[in-house]
Amino acid sequence: MIHLHTKRVRYITIFASIVCLFWLFCLGWAVQDYYSAASPIEIKQKEPEKAVDTGKFSLVALGDSLTRGTGDESGKGYVGLVTDDLKERFGKKISVHNLGVSGAVSSELKNQMKQKEIKRQLGEADAIMLTIGGNDLFQGGQTLIDIETAGIEDIQEKYLQNLKDVFTTIRSVNNQATVYMIGLYNPFIELEDNETTSSIVREWNFQTEDLASSFSDIVFVPTYDIFQLSVNDYLYTDKFHPNKEGYKLIAKRISPLIKWEEEKK
Amino acid sequence: MNKLIQNEMLKLLARKRLLIITAIVAILVAMFTYAQYKETQSQRERLGTMEWQSLLQQQIIDSQNRLGSSRISDEWRQQLQVSIKQSQYYLDNNINPSEPGAPTFVRMFIENSSDLFIPLLIMIIASDLVSSEHSLGSIKLLLTRPVQRWKILLSKYVVLLLSTSLIVLVTAALAYVISGAVFGYHGWTAPVITGFTVEGSNLNTSGVKLMDQWEFLLMEMGLVWFVAVVVGTLSFMLSVLIRSTAAGMGVMLAALISGMILSNMVSSWASAKYFFMVNLKLTSYLSGAAPPIEGMTLFSSVSVLFVWLVAALVVSFTVFSRQDVY
Repeated sequence: MIHLHTKRVRYITIFASIVCLFWLFCLGWAVQDYYSAASPIEIKQKEPEKAVDTGKFSLVALGDSLTRGTGDESGKGYVGLVTDDLKERFGKKISVHNLGVSGAVSSELKNQMKQKEIKRQLGEADAIMLTIGGNDLFQGGQTLIDIETAGIEDIQEKYLQNLKDVFTTIRSVNNQATVYMIGLYNPFIELEDNETTSSIVREWNFQTEDLASSFSDIVFVPTYDIFQLSVNDYLYTDKFHPNKEGYKLIAKRISPLIKWEEEKK
Repeated sequence: MNKLIQNEMLKLLARKRLLIITAIVAILVAMFTYAQYKETQSQRERLGTMEWQSLLQQQIIDSQNRLGSSRISDEWRQQLQVSIKQSQYYLDNNINPSEPGAPTFVRMFIENSSDLFIPLLIMIIASDLVSSEHSLGSIKLLLTRPVQRWKILLSKYVVLLLSTSLIVLVTAALAYVISGAVFGYHGWTAPVITGFTVEGSNLNTSGVKLMDQWEFLLMEMGLVWFVAVVVGTLSFMLSVLIRSTAAGMGVMLAALISGMILSNMVSSWASAKYFFMVNLKLTSYLSGAAPPIEGMTLFSSVSVLFVWLVAALVVSFTVFSRQDVY
């Protein structure tokens, strides 16, 4: 056997014993602290740092699965494509906040807008893109099954009210950035009843655009026409979300509209 | 008794097991540090920002999107909901849950390694403490000495406790030293929120406490050490019962891995909470993650583990004192 100094062995043993006792103490402390009554400590509400213009172009995208990019196998969606294009055009890094949540309806977006951090990001934004309403209107196809009973008008009224709140919030934290409100298309245009569904979507878009025009610098970006003629070429296999080509066309609509006007700040 | 312990310690040191474990930990920590570094970089690249608020917000959004998927299980959904609420709480109070720096890395590393990695390291030592004496034949020399058998076993167990303590210390120290080289050595006093209670998919924040990261870290280490001791004791028992070291290790490994799997799917099988394997993630009580089975608490988990510990000791000592040695 290798000869180890007995002294060294003893030192190691003593050291290990101390460590052992120390861990035992920590264990006791953990259990004790966990069960000790929480003396309600007021967490100091540090005010978030004021929005500073970092000199970077900041893009914020809000909304539902379209903002998320569902259906694009490359995962980019229109947000990613617009970002790529802007990077190329501005020749600089830009910061992107994609806050889209799949399946979001307008009321959920309204609630999301109440969050402090979201407001902060919106405040810093130089451009804001928004898709919402598709889930309100189509409810996963449910609306189409019984067009009569779905009460489109009610839904639309609530949606417009929520959207108005969203726009108001955006303008309250940021009155500089242009907002790009992306309109709806009719994914069911090749199914039966397409006349009814199309007219509903058109009316929906009209109301949205009308509302948008009552705020400053909110641009309504139509997508209805893109999908009007050859809807199946641009829809993903779920026949609801756009595919890669569809997103490319949407992105081509928005991207040229976004300008970087630094002097504006 | 003291001499016996010294003797066992000498054997352990001579076999250089502790050095091997240190080397394993060092290599893995270096790997994780690099992985973590790369991930932060790619995140910054993607979002074009370094602010933690934006990163955390993005994490929340990502989790919300995962919630929308219809393919996820109910348990996973609940855990996601809890973690979203927790992140939101951090965000609302403007506290960074992962302040960059070595202490945070140590905390993450310890939390993630508490139920498998550290127990595995302990097994390297524990599982052949007794059985190797059988396979080497040295057990006869040991037992022919005029010392009672239980004392011999006790000396081995004490050495196991001591080396467990050392391993936990070495793991934390290495994680600190190595990751600090990349992330910096600061962050001991960063605030950490603890005291969340989880009820189903709800997160109760009424009892939250704010503490410094070093306090939180030491508490977690205490819990991790306890888990390591329990797993060590169980492997020790198997080492007494099964003469083949490989078989003993295999059994223990199977138990640990089944615990990992079970934790993800037992939520409807309430009595599974009496298995030691599903109780190993003690640190999640401190950080406020949902327990694998509803109704499990820190106290119940520690008690369950303690009962297993005592039972394993009783079995080990009874069997070892009566065993025929040939």
